[in-house]
Amino acid sequence: MRAELAPSTAYDDLPYTRGGDVDRADVGALVQSAVDGDAAAWKALVEGLSPLVWSVVRAHRLSDADAHEVYQTVWFRFAQHLGRIREPQKAGSWLASTARHECLKVLKSLRRLTPTDDPQLLDRVSEDRTPEQSLLDSEEAAVESERVRHLWQEFEELGDRCRQLLRILMASPPPSYQEVSAALGIAVGSIGPLRQRCLRRLRARLEARGAV
Amino acid sequence: MDEMDDDETFDEAAYDGQDADADLLEEELRRAAGILDPVPAQLRQIAVEAYALHDLDAKIAELTFDSVVDAIPVRGATDVPRMLTFRAGEVTVDVEVTGEGLMGQVLPPQQASVEVLSGPQTGAPLTTDDMGRFTYGGSPAGPFALRLRTGREAIVTDWLTV
Repeated sequence: MRAELAPSTAYDDLPYTRGGDVDRADVGALVQSAVDGDAAAWKALVEGLSPLVWSVVRAHRLSDADAHEVYQTVWFRFAQHLGRIREPQKAGSWLASTARHECLKVLKSLRRLTPTDDPQLLDRVSEDRTPEQSLLDSEEAAVESERVRHLWQEFEELGDRCRQLLRILMASPPPSYQEVSAALGIAVGSIGPLRQRCLRRLRARLEARGAV
Repeated sequence: MDEMDDDETFDEAAYDGQDADADLLEEELRRAAGILDPVPAQLRQIAVEAYALHDLDAKIAELTFDSVVDAIPVRGATDVPRMLTFRAGEVTVDVEVTGEGLMGQVLPPQQASVEVLSGPQTGAPLTTDDMGRFTYGGSPAGPFALRLRTGREAIVTDWLTV
């Protein structure tokens, strides 16, 4: 786990060109505040890094029930290890790496122990409407909605590597390449070129479909 | 393994210098994910509440053996119990999880109270026998950890998904 994070140190000195909304430099400070008992700092960490954890889980194509469980396990472990994490500023990578390993384990345990589908939990999910979803319900947004669905369909039909990489990259706020590296177990240096390829490929699919 | 080259049907050169387009497309994907596959609100809430698990006083017992990762699968066996070993200093906890429940043993043998956790809430309380053994009849599916209190210390195992 740690060994995979090590080779990317050469990039540590470069300023991140990604990671807009939540300044990743603040992550270390938020972790420290949370360790000191600041619940608001913890909440800010959850807000800023939840989409990354969710992206990692989704990128591994777990069932919904497994995805929910792994997501929770990752945050429980993070809370437990808070204050013991050696590089708090890299909490995003820690979470991504933990999520990846837990996903791989769940995929490896061929047969889960019990029926894991909690219908109640999944029902609640379907009732959740984000503001964006509600907006899409309006008639004016029908065309836009169609466009988004086409984009998503073409994304889902990409090869595994591209689909995985793009699912991580599209987390909001955008993850750093360090975090992407931790999420997928690939070298930081390979992410940029792979990203370009995958996005070109997706664009080509969209153009072929005439849904530009 | 490299499916990247499977459908190389477009002209790479024609797409040179399209960095801005890549950024734009990634941004569109980000928006689509926010609409079609956002973090479920109740999961976000559970993560917020997980702050209660922050406990600097308890020792963490690290997972040192997990049959899912470390054991050779038995051919044809379908209902194999999951074997886990956690360790914190001198104390070892062996756990065997099946669909029916779990059995465990604290070593060296000692009396301890054990809680089976599935989240920030208090778990089912158990007590070990003189040999350090304990059993739990409930099904521990989902996020799982044990909190132990021995005579001397509080120990929490690493969280994992069972």
